[in-house]
Amino acid sequence: MRTTAKPSWASGFALLALALGNLPVGAQNGESATPRLASGVPDLNGTWDNGSGIDFIEPVFEGDSICLAGCNDPPESGAAAAPLPPDRPRYRSEFQARVDDLDARQVDEDPVLRCFTPGVPRIGPPDKIVQRDAEIVFLYDDVSGNFFRIVPLDASGHPTDTVPGYLGDAIGRWDDDTLVVETVNFNGETWLTDDGSFHTPDLRVVERITRDGDTLTWRATAYDPAVLAEPWNLRPRTAYLTGIEITEAPPCIERDLGHMVDDSSHDNPR
Amino acid sequence: MTCKAAFMLAIVAVPPPAIAHHSVTGQYDPEQRIALSGVIRKVDWINPHTYLHLEVTNDDGSTTNWRLESAPTAMLRKARITPDMLMGGGAVVTVDVILARDGTEHLAWLYRIDYPGGHSYQLSAER
Repeated sequence: MRTTAKPSWASGFALLALALGNLPVGAQNGESATPRLASGVPDLNGTWDNGSGIDFIEPVFEGDSICLAGCNDPPESGAAAAPLPPDRPRYRSEFQARVDDLDARQVDEDPVLRCFTPGVPRIGPPDKIVQRDAEIVFLYDDVSGNFFRIVPLDASGHPTDTVPGYLGDAIGRWDDDTLVVETVNFNGETWLTDDGSFHTPDLRVVERITRDGDTLTWRATAYDPAVLAEPWNLRPRTAYLTGIEITEAPPCIERDLGHMVDDSSHDNPR
Repeated sequence: MTCKAAFMLAIVAVPPPAIAHHSVTGQYDPEQRIALSGVIRKVDWINPHTYLHLEVTNDDGSTTNWRLESAPTAMLRKARITPDMLMGGGAVVTVDVILARDGTEHLAWLYRIDYPGGHSYQLSAER
């Protein structure tokens, strides 16, 4: 423990957080059965804390004090878990120089740093799911804003008359207990990750979502053979049912980039 | 440093979790860490980062307005922190911050706020 006058954040964390209802519901209740709709498919309805592609926030409450980050004492033995390596697509050799150049100039080029829509799959798992038999709606509470994707489950194919978009056109189907969402018709103005991972408008993304109790697992594969050396299977992401509802997103107003002293901007894992 | 309330603090190097939209250390210098006392006059509840406006009274009675950058709104919300809570009711608070690398005056990244009642909000890991 620290010997400074700072509050002892770690003490009583679990009890207090539980009392305030701030832990994911799944973490509070442990294992629970996967609910299903009357049709028999898994019920994905709910608000899901997915860590925003950054870190799961585990605030520590102690009296009226709140610690949002850096709350725990440094490990005495240096036994902290090593961060996972970056999860990045592999490019065809003739495009690697372009990726490297964009990466080196991320401050100048990354759309997300300018509050643009992250695109798919960079936006990650949905923050809220509204589900009916014929369609599923994904809602997002992202730093760039609120976004939605409407995923019809009864479509015979993708429409041919829609304008290409940042989030593309999605259609879904059930593969046993897995929701499979295929998205195409992108405008090519987003990145797959934060390190210059550009894509073409012909990007195709397949997401697979499963629910186990109060835990959601999101998997995605990006196909863009014109530039990628192979399909990129993203590291799966986990989301937990939460009682904290998403809200109207405040405006995204970029004020930082002019103050950056180098071009190595992003330190987020997404 | 023109503000009488500012003083240098010891630096503790702790690997941070990434909670920022961009690299904090690309914009702010952990080795220029100071404390300020003042009144929070305004909170910009915006993304990708919130900003607090701290009014600091100088030795000659004039005031300086500091812009203190902090976490995204969704993260504060998940910690049940609201703009009103950050404001602290107009009381004089003490903040622990690191300064902008590019020399922009009165711009800093916010680690922590201590309120006169004894409670605090730690909003960022040390960088």
